[in-house]
Amino acid sequence: MKNKPFNLFLIVLVTAVSLWSLWPTWRDYSLSQQMDRFASAEDSLKFSISHRDEIENARRKSLKLGLDLKGGMHLVMEVDQVDLFEQKAWNKDARFHAIMAKVRQKAATSDAGVIDLLAAEFRKENIRLSRYFYDIRNSDREITGKLQKESEDALTRAREIIRNRIDQYGVAEPVITTQGTRRIIIELAGVSDENRVRNLLKGTAKLEFKLLREPEVLLRVLDKLNTSLASQGSVASPAAVPDTSGRAVPAAGTLLTAPPRTAAAARPLNDVLTVLQNGNVYVSEESREFVSRLFQRDDIKALVPQDSELLLAAKPDQLPDGRNYYSVFLVRKTAELTGGVITEAKASFSAEGAQPEVLMEMNSEGTAKWARITGANIGKRVAIVLDGAVYSAPVVQSKIPNGNSVINGIGSVDEAKDLEIVLKAGALPAPVRIMEERTVGPSLGADYIRAGMLSMMWGFIAVSVFMLLYYRTAGIAADMALVLNILVVLSVLAGFSASLSLPGIAGIVLTMGMAVDANVLINERIREELAEGKSIVSAVAAGYDKAFSSILDSHVTTLASAYLLYTFGIGPIQGFAVTLMIGTAASLFTAVVVTKEIFTFMISKNILTDKSFG
Amino acid sequence: MRIFHKTSFDFIKYRKIAYAISIILLLSGMVSLAFRGLNYGIDFRGGSEVVIRFEKNVDVGSVRAALKDAGVSGTLKQYGIDRSFLLSTVFSGQTNELKSLVSNAFKNRFPENSNEIVRIDSVGPSIASDLKWSALKALLGALAAILLYVGVRYELKFAAAGVVAIFHDVLTVLGMFSILGGLFAFMPLEIDQSVIAAFLTVAGYSITDTVVVYDRIRERIRGKKPSEYEAIFNESMNQTLSRTIITGGTTLLSVLILFIFAGPAIRGFAFAVFSGILIGTYSSIFVAAPLVYDWLRMTKSSVKLRGGSAA
Repeated sequence: MKNKPFNLFLIVLVTAVSLWSLWPTWRDYSLSQQMDRFASAEDSLKFSISHRDEIENARRKSLKLGLDLKGGMHLVMEVDQVDLFEQKAWNKDARFHAIMAKVRQKAATSDAGVIDLLAAEFRKENIRLSRYFYDIRNSDREITGKLQKESEDALTRAREIIRNRIDQYGVAEPVITTQGTRRIIIELAGVSDENRVRNLLKGTAKLEFKLLREPEVLLRVLDKLNTSLASQGSVASPAAVPDTSGRAVPAAGTLLTAPPRTAAAARPLNDVLTVLQNGNVYVSEESREFVSRLFQRDDIKALVPQDSELLLAAKPDQLPDGRNYYSVFLVRKTAELTGGVITEAKASFSAEGAQPEVLMEMNSEGTAKWARITGANIGKRVAIVLDGAVYSAPVVQSKIPNGNSVINGIGSVDEAKDLEIVLKAGALPAPVRIMEERTVGPSLGADYIRAGMLSMMWGFIAVSVFMLLYYRTAGIAADMALVLNILVVLSVLAGFSASLSLPGIAGIVLTMGMAVDANVLINERIREELAEGKSIVSAVAAGYDKAFSSILDSHVTTLASAYLLYTFGIGPIQGFAVTLMIGTAASLFTAVVVTKEIFTFMISKNILTDKSFG
Repeated sequence: MRIFHKTSFDFIKYRKIAYAISIILLLSGMVSLAFRGLNYGIDFRGGSEVVIRFEKNVDVGSVRAALKDAGVSGTLKQYGIDRSFLLSTVFSGQTNELKSLVSNAFKNRFPENSNEIVRIDSVGPSIASDLKWSALKALLGALAAILLYVGVRYELKFAAAGVVAIFHDVLTVLGMFSILGGLFAFMPLEIDQSVIAAFLTVAGYSITDTVVVYDRIRERIRGKKPSEYEAIFNESMNQTLSRTIITGGTTLLSVLILFIFAGPAIRGFAFAVFSGILIGTYSSIFVAAPLVYDWLRMTKSSVKLRGGSAA
């Protein structure tokens, strides 16, 4: 006990720092309680304005709650590297597509790098990468290096674009990080409209202006499709549509409505398509998914003229029969102009008033091109295509010299605003898909908080009462150490702005049970020493000395497993590992140093005698 | 208060019975693992889970029928909190569509009884395979780290027996998950990330428990002859028995409280830790130390001490 002044100083310091670190959390809690107590919203607003700095300060420094407790979204998105590499390739032929389809399939279920899978697949087929990528003189190693660089750039760019979109949408304190070579992790707290966020995040925002082919050509193409499909048998069963693209498609059968089946019809497409007098072609709402997949089939694509493709409208039109229909368009494959030229986008309303639309401005290069395109195609229709769906296809009335364009045919004001956001943020380098999502609604979060608080309270009561019953006076020291331990865990979380999640609370409750282990070891040892007839002072000293070796070993092993859990665990498990680590490390101090000082103090005041260990 | 006062159980004498019990426990677990397998949670299997909470009481059958009529595939189960159901279905990145499909299914069927989707978890296959690998790495890494630490602090025989005890504990709990998986509605006992965390916690606890007994043996065995080992092992275990039981008790107490109060999300974890601590306490007395004793006896070697009391 020669270090007594130092130890005492340390204990006071740790307690003071913990309390200081938790003070904002307490202020935040009491301020919001105060605000809830006001009778009217007006008073509460007045109070929050007059105490604004204080409230903001407290909130910023208070203990953060995890997404599971306050409600929010945790998303893991994956940049589609296969698509990215397909974009980079040239000379693409059937063989290339076949290989890429295989790579895509493998990438979907494996966590190996897409580049490695790609290189392995090409090696298996005995084709050099340079046949499709970059320069013919490049070696495979050089090409994989370049692709690697390309995918890293794409990931960083995608992260920035997604950050832009979220910032513009307005979510408080979003956390956006990248993981590995193709993943972006997004954590959003307190999102009110999850659907909007998902739509906002996943769209590539690839804007294209494409010329429409003449209606006669479209009808001729559909005729060809009909003949081909009729010879193949029926189109009407969705099960017969293999997903040749190999893309992650929504679960078949659940989200798909099969069109009515009239087998052996000479014109099978008529089941799902409606051709109007004016040459416009429509597909009913129920069959949209089916037709859009049909258009993706390679054998169908082969029937369409080389320079053209079939697209569907993004939004339905209501036809006189009151049902919703989507238009079918045949457009030129090569875009006349792409979204890269857009400098400004603004959500607005059309001149007639009710229809939301998005106004766009272009840079000088785009303006010049746009003037040339519109000038050369007066009377023709230009489709405005976003992420492969046609938003509108207006007829060009006159040459547009100022670089303005409009997207209309938008469903709602919110959607127009979201379009504005994605257009301003720019297009993603490759499609980004949601690969993992964990969303907890605020009401369940509140339940979790209540459950967590209950378990903490009962855990503490159970363990501390047990220690008092079993060790009597000596139990007081262990209980005080337990209180300090919990304080330290919470204050470290608050101090380092780490958040407290439900698994984190579980970690704290578990730590309570395990942290008293050191005290159990010490107290049992002291009992033994007392039984051997030692005085209380020397029994306490010997108890601490002899128990220390076991305490150290047990703490180090627990810390080691918690650390590994932290390193390899993901998301919620890390929260558990963190509180377990802090709690275990803290208990080395609280259960050994703190209780020893308390014992010393109690002995000097004659509170602790050789009868006190029960 | 004292539960154990100067006990003198002859643990070493009964070790063969304990070995038999352990082998039966392990074997039945392994047999179940081979035939019944494990229920994997969506973390490792991939898929989507939606928790739907209704305003008023409604029975599972009619909810199931409503979903079936709407063409939603998947299985529906009662979830551990009031008026709530858990729908598990295949993975789809299109949570929006899944969500609207589910709410549409109920809007017409239960117009009086509003519902809310309170949780959505969706894990794609590549993420699931990632999570599986990192879980395996964490488990193996933890075992290696513990072996290394105990190997440095104690003799190799002690360390090896300690790791055997860890395997014994974790495998027995794994076996219980296989045997009891899916039997109880309030705890489906699926293997997910939190259960892996529980296994690591059990591994850490198991070695902690074992190390305390080892520490006492090491303290007393110094300079003793191999013929006295049996007595020393027994006495050491008896002396630490009180601590073993008390610490096990307080930890079990807090885990039991987690099991009762912390809700369905934590229940599988709490079950794994609870049974792991029970078995870990048993194995530190009946498996780890007796194994070292048998090993020393068979090799007829004496303990070469390393470390010693650090304090």
